[in-house]
Amino acid sequence: MLIELLIGLCLLGALVVFTLPDRYVPTAALTASLFPLVTSFVMLAGFDASGNAFLGGELAYETTVRWIELAGLTINWHVGLDGISMPLLVLTTVLTTLAILTAWTPIDARRSQFYGLVLFLEAGLLGVFAVLDFFAWLVFWEAVLVPMYLLIGIWGGPRRKYAAIKFFVYTNVATLVLFVGFFALVFGLGDSISSLDMPAIAQALRNDQLGSLGGVAPGTIKLAAFVALFAGFAVKVPLVPFHTWLPDAHVEAPTPVSIVLAGVLLKMGTYAFLRFNFTMLADVARQYAQLIALLAVVSVVYGALLALAQQDLKRIVAYSSISSMGYVLLGLVAYTVYGVGGATFQMISHGLLSGLLFACVGVIYNTTHTRMVGDMSGLADRMPITTGAFVAGAFGYMGLPFMSGFAAEFFVFRGAFGSPTIGSPLLTAVAMFGIVIVAGYLLYAMQRTLFGEFRLDTDYEVGRARLHDAVPLLVLLAFTIAIGSAPDLAFGMIREAVGPLVEGVS
Amino acid sequence: MAAFDYAPAIAVLPLASFVIALVAGRYMPKGGAFAGILATGGSLVLSAWMAFAVAGGDTYNESLYTFVDAGEELSLHLGVLIDPLSAMMLVIVSLVAFLVHVFSLGYMNDEGETGLPRYYAGLGLFSASMLGFVLADNLFMAFMFFEMVGLCSWLLIGFWFRDAAPPSAAKKAFLVTRFGDYFFLVGVVAVFATFGTAAFAGAESFPTIAEEALAGGSEGAGGAAVTTFFGLDPGAWFAVIALLILGGVIGKSAQFPLHTWLPDAMEGPTPVSALIHAATMVAAGVYLVARIYGFYALLPTVLAVVAFVGGFTALFAATMALVKNEIKQVLAYSTISQYGYMMLALGAGGYVAATFHLMTHAFFKALLFLGAGAVIIAMHHGEDMWEMGGLRKKMPVTYWTFLAGSLALAGIFPFAGFWSKDEVLYEALVHGLNDPLLLGAYAMGLAAVFVTGFYTFRMVVLTFHGKPRSDVARDPHGVGWNVKFPLVVLGALAVVAGFLNMAPVAELTGLHVDYLHQWFVGPLEATSLETYEGLIEERAGYEAAELSPLLPAAVSLALALAGAGLAVVLYRGAEPTEHTDRLGSAKRVLASNYYQDEYQVWLAEGLTARVARAADTFDQGIIDGVVNGTGSVSLLSGSRVRRIQTGVVSNYAALLTLGLVALLVVLGVTGGWF
Repeated sequence: MLIELLIGLCLLGALVVFTLPDRYVPTAALTASLFPLVTSFVMLAGFDASGNAFLGGELAYETTVRWIELAGLTINWHVGLDGISMPLLVLTTVLTTLAILTAWTPIDARRSQFYGLVLFLEAGLLGVFAVLDFFAWLVFWEAVLVPMYLLIGIWGGPRRKYAAIKFFVYTNVATLVLFVGFFALVFGLGDSISSLDMPAIAQALRNDQLGSLGGVAPGTIKLAAFVALFAGFAVKVPLVPFHTWLPDAHVEAPTPVSIVLAGVLLKMGTYAFLRFNFTMLADVARQYAQLIALLAVVSVVYGALLALAQQDLKRIVAYSSISSMGYVLLGLVAYTVYGVGGATFQMISHGLLSGLLFACVGVIYNTTHTRMVGDMSGLADRMPITTGAFVAGAFGYMGLPFMSGFAAEFFVFRGAFGSPTIGSPLLTAVAMFGIVIVAGYLLYAMQRTLFGEFRLDTDYEVGRARLHDAVPLLVLLAFTIAIGSAPDLAFGMIREAVGPLVEGVS
Repeated sequence: MAAFDYAPAIAVLPLASFVIALVAGRYMPKGGAFAGILATGGSLVLSAWMAFAVAGGDTYNESLYTFVDAGEELSLHLGVLIDPLSAMMLVIVSLVAFLVHVFSLGYMNDEGETGLPRYYAGLGLFSASMLGFVLADNLFMAFMFFEMVGLCSWLLIGFWFRDAAPPSAAKKAFLVTRFGDYFFLVGVVAVFATFGTAAFAGAESFPTIAEEALAGGSEGAGGAAVTTFFGLDPGAWFAVIALLILGGVIGKSAQFPLHTWLPDAMEGPTPVSALIHAATMVAAGVYLVARIYGFYALLPTVLAVVAFVGGFTALFAATMALVKNEIKQVLAYSTISQYGYMMLALGAGGYVAATFHLMTHAFFKALLFLGAGAVIIAMHHGEDMWEMGGLRKKMPVTYWTFLAGSLALAGIFPFAGFWSKDEVLYEALVHGLNDPLLLGAYAMGLAAVFVTGFYTFRMVVLTFHGKPRSDVARDPHGVGWNVKFPLVVLGALAVVAGFLNMAPVAELTGLHVDYLHQWFVGPLEATSLETYEGLIEERAGYEAAELSPLLPAAVSLALALAGAGLAVVLYRGAEPTEHTDRLGSAKRVLASNYYQDEYQVWLAEGLTARVARAADTFDQGIIDGVVNGTGSVSLLSGSRVRRIQTGVVSNYAALLTLGLVALLVVLGVTGGWF
């Protein structure tokens, strides 16, 4: 019942915050977000699961309730956690709480609605990671879009309407595509499944129970469904060339929204990749592993090159996310413990590190009212804490050992290099060159903005960060160092869940 | 053995001083300097204890911390390997780090400097990272600390961040070495994929498995289980791995063509330069090759590359030092050149020669940098040698110790550098007589001896002799005990360290005075000198020619004296003139560092940045243009027929469906991809 409690607490918090007057809302929202945060850590402490949720593993906090009967298919309320979803759940609660803190400074209009939507968003995200029945899963998947659309569209920058509509339409169309793909599979499976239970569907597909549909052979259906699902999730990840909504959304979104967007929302895409494309349709994924790896490498290198060309700090971080998500895909398609496990670990790590960098950029923006690299220099003297956090976060992002980014990337590289599915290590070696480009653009940005003589074209008073601005930076830093120095804190449970997926792949 | 239980503390102590300086430095006197001095002093004592234990015949090779627990094959560990090599290096690193901390009391505090806690925190972390690197028992851990060293160099080179140049130099140092580290990282991953382990020593270590695989291969029987890639046979694939790892070495040890970061790194405080050049970052590369020498010794092609890169860099960098006007620049290029000698020795099969030179160089180069630091204090932070002159009488302690260091650098008998450089050249020669490539490397190394003698004494004479050429030089700033003490310690070492290993004397007289050779024999078989010598002969096929050490030593000494003598003759006198101007256009090439910076800057800014901008234009114009074009077309048509929402969606859907169809066609056509 803890998962229901978790989601319920978020919704309840959202309701309470919606009704409160603006004055009390920041504190109230923070308090409200602490309940799910604590609950998620209680769940983490008591976490006891083995195996993969989609492959018949033992789940933690599982609930199955018969819900709706529809055209011969049962729809259940089925939730449960395995080692892949548990850390993502914790990531969500942690980042939401910190995002709420970072909102204290910049958000001063319609506060109760803002914080309420953030908590509502949290509920949707938690649902995506915890729900195991397709119907409810899709509901949560779509439910995330609405608060995100509003958060960008109302509290965003000058071009917020454009960015919000682009985000909404693009991801909504993607949902349509993946929906069609998934239902092709459901109809193809016919009588061999009796519900929309995703683990059951996954196992039926893996047992080759897919029949032909309207004269189309099962193999073709599988391939078509794979492509549809892949395209649908690729928008969310985002993967090149479906990525152009992301920089626009990030640039217009206020800092706290960027943190959740980069930190958690993108992981919906990679999480769905893992569960659908790489678990349910693993044979197709393995067959086209080299093509998929090629897409991953393109995302890594192309995304990094784009980041190199940017002058807006937020755009730099936004494009770097595309690059980092490429590593996730590379790890997933490797089908090794380190590959898939590293990809999952990278989801967590990137959530923390991109959150940290966005938070730093946010603090700088709140103070200087600009994000352009050329508009400022020498901030280090006046913003020592922010500078320290920025430097640490940037090096973490570059893969500094004893921070989470290094562990994640090393796992992915190690898993992909000798991967039986990708075959040649050349693609991995090319992808690894991303570690040089990332150092290039982050060091360049830091040199220009933080160091040198102090100069600020926007003429605002620059002072030290306030406590509620500094806390999220330090907390995120602590988390990245903790799981970077002792990766087993997260990787232990991830490995449990990944094991069955990669077993016997050669 | 109890001593080794304290081994991790060697790295943990400076780490603690990093944390203390960072958190509490601003409340402590001198910004937390004393925490650093105590910590590195403690590391020095512990390192000496380790060395004694090793001298007593003990070694230690244990995994201490499981980084990732993924079953037998896949787990990643951090551990400690203490054998003669690491014990020696621990002493060197902690000694130099300790002296640099002490020296910093005088160098940094005389300036009313802000940010001292950050400085001492950086020094602490730098020492900790390097000591962790030296202690590492596997390649994965070594890579981790290798990267930490890179971070620390960035922090300290860019210490004076308010000026424009230091942050830029720091960025360059990190980027250039990161470029090398990319190859190293691919190498680490390849080692795991090939051998399933990255341990340095023991039955389950990758050098041992590699040797077994090659032995099995040559006998036609199935060797140990290794996975090779690209269809290469084990020998060729191992060579690829060794070259990949060498990429990291070339970056950190500033070998051609990745040496360009090092002269720029002079923007950091001078004590930091001493630390970087003598004992930490730059030494890390060469140490790594020595650490896995059991792997390199199997691969003659790679050894030849190492030797040739080393010999070339030794000469190449030395020539650039000829025309520099700033004292630290001369020293910077001499560092590149001297590490070239170490690489030459390693490539030529001279394991002891290389590590010996690593040690003596650490002492005399730390000495020279700290001496230069004392001069720079005296000159009120002026570095131009043409502004100096006549400092000999004003600062005798600095002069005499600097002279000892210079004699060692030039390789003049009987100073430390003579013995080690001579052994490097001797090893290159005896193995080179049977191998023209090696002989070429030797020739370059030998030519560099003359150049080294010249630039070293050009520096000494211009700085200390003649008459003061500026007002500051007439009335230099005094230096305190904290500057003199490290100079005296290192000065003494620059004189006597060579006596640790008088190989030519041992060979000629039969006396056992080649103590370092004995030090490296045993006790851990996998890293024993005897094992390496066996591998060099059997696997790499190196043959040493019979040759008396006397003549080669005489030749190199004569060259060094000639170079030094020429410089003294040309530059002595009250008003020296710049004689290198006679080189004409050659001087312009040298002063421009052979235009190495230009092409690398072009690669980074001209090429990569241009490609990035082109990608950005493509992204905004084409990819996003298609997306937006579809969107606006549909919005427009939608508004006409009042179906805005569905209009957008249907057009997007149409676009995506088209894309999917295209993708499906591609998939169908290329069915069996690759």
